[in-house]
Amino acid sequence: MMRPAILDDPKRELWLAWYATVGFYSLYTVVFFIITRTQPPGKPWYDPSQVVGWFAGRHDGLLIGFALIFVLGGLSATSLALITYSIRRMSVSRAFAYSYLILYAVAAVPGFLFICTAMTVGAMRPERSPALLQWLYDLAFLSFSGTMGVFLIGSLIWMTAILLDKNHVFPKWFGYLNLCNALTEVVVAPSWIFHEGALAWNGAIAWWINVVVFALYTGAFIYLLRSMILREDFGTGPLPGLDSKVWRTIVPVEATV
Amino acid sequence: MTTTQEPLVVVREQGTRHIPGQPDMWVFVFFESLVFTAYFCVYLYSRTQHERAFLHGQSQLLAWLGVLDTVVLLTSSWTMARCVQHARAGRYAPARRDAFLTAGLGFVFLVLKIVEWVRLIHLGHTFTSSEFFQYYFFLTAIHCVHLLIGFVVLGVLVWKLSASQEIVETCATYWHTVDFFWVLIFALLYVVR
Amino acid sequence: MESRVNMRLFVVWLILVGITVAYLAIDRAANDHGLATASTAVTVAAICLALVKVRIIMREFMEVRGAPQALCRLTDFWVVLMGVAMLGVYLAGRAIA
Repeated sequence: MMRPAILDDPKRELWLAWYATVGFYSLYTVVFFIITRTQPPGKPWYDPSQVVGWFAGRHDGLLIGFALIFVLGGLSATSLALITYSIRRMSVSRAFAYSYLILYAVAAVPGFLFICTAMTVGAMRPERSPALLQWLYDLAFLSFSGTMGVFLIGSLIWMTAILLDKNHVFPKWFGYLNLCNALTEVVVAPSWIFHEGALAWNGAIAWWINVVVFALYTGAFIYLLRSMILREDFGTGPLPGLDSKVWRTIVPVEATV
Repeated sequence: MTTTQEPLVVVREQGTRHIPGQPDMWVFVFFESLVFTAYFCVYLYSRTQHERAFLHGQSQLLAWLGVLDTVVLLTSSWTMARCVQHARAGRYAPARRDAFLTAGLGFVFLVLKIVEWVRLIHLGHTFTSSEFFQYYFFLTAIHCVHLLIGFVVLGVLVWKLSASQEIVETCATYWHTVDFFWVLIFALLYVVR
Repeated sequence: MESRVNMRLFVVWLILVGITVAYLAIDRAANDHGLATASTAVTVAAICLALVKVRIIMREFMEVRGAPQALCRLTDFWVVLMGVAMLGVYLAGRAIA
């Protein structure tokens, strides 16, 4: 029987990490948007009795969905590891990779664990006082949307690494897209202040537009990580040419670096 | 690394058409323009739903101050464009002078903005005092964040001035974007009824 | 050559400043009807003028004029897209209100 090629492929661990990344983000989307329906977020202006109703309407979904995240949430580490690997592959100092790794590892706690915990605690005993449920509700959504500082700095670190990189691991436009993503973190900050309107945690600006930017950004880096793995030569110099010819066709020869 | 490809365009007498700066920065320009347009649409929609309140808030603004802000930033774009032309011709001293002028005008804009914010706050209009001012402070503040980033970008430009015309043009593209965002913000906050 | 380029940039700057100052006239005209009333005409004029300025900035300052056709068309398309989005939302909003 033929030995499957994948077993000897030196890139197999990279592919494993990449598929795990895709798996994680898919799980995340399904759990938050479909099973638990915590995204789009609940309304910040709900009074305690409305919050009780919100929890009641999602009781089973919250418990099942977030149980899945508690079990499988560790997959988020693969995404982080792959991105850190990509920064290590760049010509810049390893300090960039390590800072990014530390920041985003820490960010997982407010990034999604707080909301999972608070919501599960809230759903677990529906007979809790409404005021307490509202407290959990606020903690969940504020921590999810409002703790953007780590992501802001993390995006800037990745951006700087990409722009300084001489190994062409990522195209420069993705470096600039990191800036766009970082700026969305700034835009979300007012959600701590407003209970309603475009800048509340469910607002047109602080949530809807931000989520679109974040989704495009995530899609872009998942695609680019795949491109990096395809091009990887396990060396320390420039990675062989970028696949995409989209923008190369409109740049005359002399402008190519 | 370089591949011979047919340029997609006709060669003009004066020289080949070329994309100003890295094409990548243009990706940023297009993307961020869409994000800002989305913000503007949210603002405009809110405006139509709360006409009177927005008109009242807007009447507290000084249109001439907005015009002054715009002229300052347009002038900074002018000096930026001149800087790029000088750098392209190898005249690095005038280019450097124009780059510093651009930064100086950006700084003037920042000061004018702060003066305006302080004036409005003293009149009792803050980020949370009304829906109009929520949008006003949000749009002007996020624009100022872009402007502050612009100063960093200008620093990169001066650093790479004699080394890479592509980087000079890339940085200029970013600065002009900050300028045309303001052109739109000014029209929407100060003039639109 | 240098002076021609400089003159062109200067003229562009003058035009842009001129349009900006024209806003004051629009603003005054809008206020002339008492303490400001909502006006579609003013809004549409303000937004269109802004987009004209944006296009000039792109073509002249950002040097799109000397860029490949693809970029010229894309920037023009983007200006139109922004205009359609903003005016569309504004007019739709007014219709709903």
